[in-house]
Amino acid sequence: MAIGGPIGRRVDLTLTQKLLEINWLLVLVIMLIAAVGFAMLYSAANGQIDPWASRQMIRFAAGLALMLGIAVIDIRSWLRHAYLIYAAALLLLVAVELLGVVGMGARRWVDLGLFQLQPSEVMKIALVLALARYYHGLPLEEVERKRWLIVPLVMIAAPVALVMRQPDLGTAILLLATATAMLLLAGVRLWKFGVALGAIILAIPLAWRFLLHGYQKDRVLTYLDPERDPLGAGYHIMQSKIALGSGGLFGKGFMQGTQSHLSFLPERQTDFIFTMLAEEFGLIGCLGLLSLYVFVIAYGYAIAARARNHFGRLLATGVITTFFLYVFINMAMVMGLIPVVGVPLPLVSYGGTSMMSLLIGFGLVLSVYVHRDVTIPRRPNFPG
Amino acid sequence: MTGRPTKRPVRPAAGQRAVPVPGKTMIRLEGTAARTMRLGHGRLLAVALMFGIGFCVLAGRLVELTVVRGGDGAVANLVPGTIAARPERADIVDRHGLLLATNLSTASLYADAREVLDANRAARRLAKVLPELSLAATAEKLRSDKAFVWLKRNLTPALQDRIHRLGIPGLYFREEQRRLYPHGALAAHVLGFTDVDGNGIAGVEKFFDEELLRRGHAGAPLQLSLDIRVQHALRDELGAAMAKFSAVGAAGLVMNANTGEVLGLASLPDFDPNHPGASPVTSRFNRTSLGVYELGSVFKVFTLAMALDSGTTNLSGSYDASKPIRVSRFTIRDDHPKKRRLSVPEILIYSSNIGAAKMALDVGGKTQRAYLGRFGMLRRPALELPEVGAPLSPSPWRDINTMTVAFGHGLAVSPVQLTSGFAAAVNGGLLLPATLIRHQPGQRGLGVRVIGERTSGQLRRLLRAVVEKGTGGKAEAPGYLVGGKTGTAEKAGVRGYRRRALISSFVAAFPINAPAYVVYVMIDEPKGIKETYGFAAAGWNAAPAAGQVIQRIAPILGVRPVHLGGPAKRQAMAVPGQGGERKVAAN
Repeated sequence: MAIGGPIGRRVDLTLTQKLLEINWLLVLVIMLIAAVGFAMLYSAANGQIDPWASRQMIRFAAGLALMLGIAVIDIRSWLRHAYLIYAAALLLLVAVELLGVVGMGARRWVDLGLFQLQPSEVMKIALVLALARYYHGLPLEEVERKRWLIVPLVMIAAPVALVMRQPDLGTAILLLATATAMLLLAGVRLWKFGVALGAIILAIPLAWRFLLHGYQKDRVLTYLDPERDPLGAGYHIMQSKIALGSGGLFGKGFMQGTQSHLSFLPERQTDFIFTMLAEEFGLIGCLGLLSLYVFVIAYGYAIAARARNHFGRLLATGVITTFFLYVFINMAMVMGLIPVVGVPLPLVSYGGTSMMSLLIGFGLVLSVYVHRDVTIPRRPNFPG
Repeated sequence: MTGRPTKRPVRPAAGQRAVPVPGKTMIRLEGTAARTMRLGHGRLLAVALMFGIGFCVLAGRLVELTVVRGGDGAVANLVPGTIAARPERADIVDRHGLLLATNLSTASLYADAREVLDANRAARRLAKVLPELSLAATAEKLRSDKAFVWLKRNLTPALQDRIHRLGIPGLYFREEQRRLYPHGALAAHVLGFTDVDGNGIAGVEKFFDEELLRRGHAGAPLQLSLDIRVQHALRDELGAAMAKFSAVGAAGLVMNANTGEVLGLASLPDFDPNHPGASPVTSRFNRTSLGVYELGSVFKVFTLAMALDSGTTNLSGSYDASKPIRVSRFTIRDDHPKKRRLSVPEILIYSSNIGAAKMALDVGGKTQRAYLGRFGMLRRPALELPEVGAPLSPSPWRDINTMTVAFGHGLAVSPVQLTSGFAAAVNGGLLLPATLIRHQPGQRGLGVRVIGERTSGQLRRLLRAVVEKGTGGKAEAPGYLVGGKTGTAEKAGVRGYRRRALISSFVAAFPINAPAYVVYVMIDEPKGIKETYGFAAAGWNAAPAAGQVIQRIAPILGVRPVHLGGPAKRQAMAVPGQGGERKVAAN
């Protein structure tokens, strides 16, 4: 392999040096956010550590170890294996399509014997890796040409289409939005985004007429006015808003929320956990959690800006963008700003797979930081 | 995504701060690499800006939802009640002037902590007289150096005397008005209660908070339409039925059919307004006015009313109820299937869902909604309580909704709405708003015509037939010509309807030939017992309870029993079938 001559200080470090180089402040904030999750899961189970908080803690511990392991792996090996990982993830998605396990009305899981795997989660990381590698190897003049846009568009479209078929609109949106942000950061010219946006706007009335089923239209209409069907599709969002409102400035106190504890809110431990937080800790608690998220995202961007290699920069921004989208989509959904899509509150909602993929993502971000001064030649094996 | 096309090349200024490593190596990287760097950082900034905006939107919405819109409870907690002595609240009396709520002058103990000499000793001595006070907390208060701290509100004269004798400097009394409800829990959900500062915080006390203060100055009590004797009979029978059928709750209403005045309104479990905090929060939920439920077959009364009134069918009409209706994933079937064609009267008498659904389809969704709107089923009723629930109606209103609403599913209304609507169906067709305020003698309510008098007369005869030979048989109160309709609905749970959790209700009018009063009884989750052969349907529990209520209140209300077999009965009975209509012109 071709590695450029060392320019900066931190290029080839020993394992101990790498461990010391890890950004422990970021790790601490991630742990704080997860701790908020543990507390809310404890409360959601009416003051029981089982069944949710305990399992969540175990998963987080495992994820944390994995994250630190990934952080010290040389960033160049991620670059080298990016396409391989992407291909594997895509293969898994196809496998799900063919022989996946159906759960909760959707086909999203593949059973690996030991555990069940959700390939769409793997794809969230894999797509970021693959796009980062692609644009790392592409000079800006080429980025701006249309023909070099075809490969990434296919790379994005294939998994998005497969995920949509499962169906999992939330993940599809995450993939698409993350990819869009990465193309933007890579330097694809702005007018192309304008064209894409225009095309989407034009397509909406057509899709409304010909593509959407009645129940899907219902959902959108219900989003626009939840009160129109308070017993049916609007139920979740109405209850959620009631709970949010009842929390007020300081909340009702830990484990004192009535909406959630009296089971007005189904699935309170997963996608709607933010509502519980709002009810029990009020505006102050919510803004506190929001600040932790803002810190992680701002810090992630600082790491991206500091990275000296293009691959690392794109990788970090891709992961952080995904993280931001998780936060934004979940909170906006719970607060009735956007229609209900199944996206968990990152690191807080109960659930192992999304937490695992997020921690792997953070492992990559930390790796970018540890290897921030490594320079990688722009076209290791780029044709033309 | 802001899709604004920009011109190349990139603005050179953007790179100044962004180029990370100054030094000789950078010179070599001039050109492509530097441009990439600058572009990358510019774009990074733009994306970060978008995220910033996103977070601001989230934070703004959070503030809106928690504080601006919903948080009045929390905000109110931040503002302590004013200590200034409030003017006396007016008494609340029932329609015959019996006292329902009044005031009692009591002394409340406070301290000027600046004058207290030895806080610990004072607290210890005080605790001997008031053992419920925490020693530590009291001592803390007395040490606080504040000019005013409450120690104990509403003392009895004996306790006041004993504290007085302790002779502790710095302790003072203030005369306060304590709200007293002599009937205890009897009319709890109507009266509501006040907080310790005398502010109405529930029920009539809250709704008429200002009015009660105004009247307090003038010395005029607030007179309700309630009749405490009727209220007692109603609550008593509801309690008995609730216990008998191990139900989780019950609701009941007695209303004057021609004025809308509420004579009795009860919701169980209830609470003692003298000590509202002593009961669980759930007991403060008013099932009768605040709760909205899918009430089931009682709605067939409205379905028949609109079908007969709009002329899509008549008493000699019939519908095929031989097999269930399948609409997509729903199946509409009958609880007491007759498996044949049913006449219009039979549809009500045997409570056929299939028949009602088909009848409603004939009427059409639009007309159905118009009628239900006029019956008051689609808007929040104007009852004088803060705890009044708004109905939940399906949207969009499709044919399947038209069919389910025809037998009372898919549309949730409060018992108050149902009772008012039922009164309109039987009193000649006029809807009168339900009210808790007594009408002046001779005052006529402003009724709004809902259905024609002739339709109303037909309904009265059909409703009598339901009690006479249909599902409402156990509601019979001999001599009082009860006419009514049962309704058994499954409660909606997290996943679909819960088969074993029922809302059983019975709505009745008596005497049905010239309705004076309407009675509604609802039992929340009754269980089947041996006496009912394990059935939990309304005919087995709500109907007999309503019959009991009628039997007890009719003599109180001065309704005279009619001689069975006499002309009144025959008149009311000349029901269904062909040619029956002519005979009842006198109605």
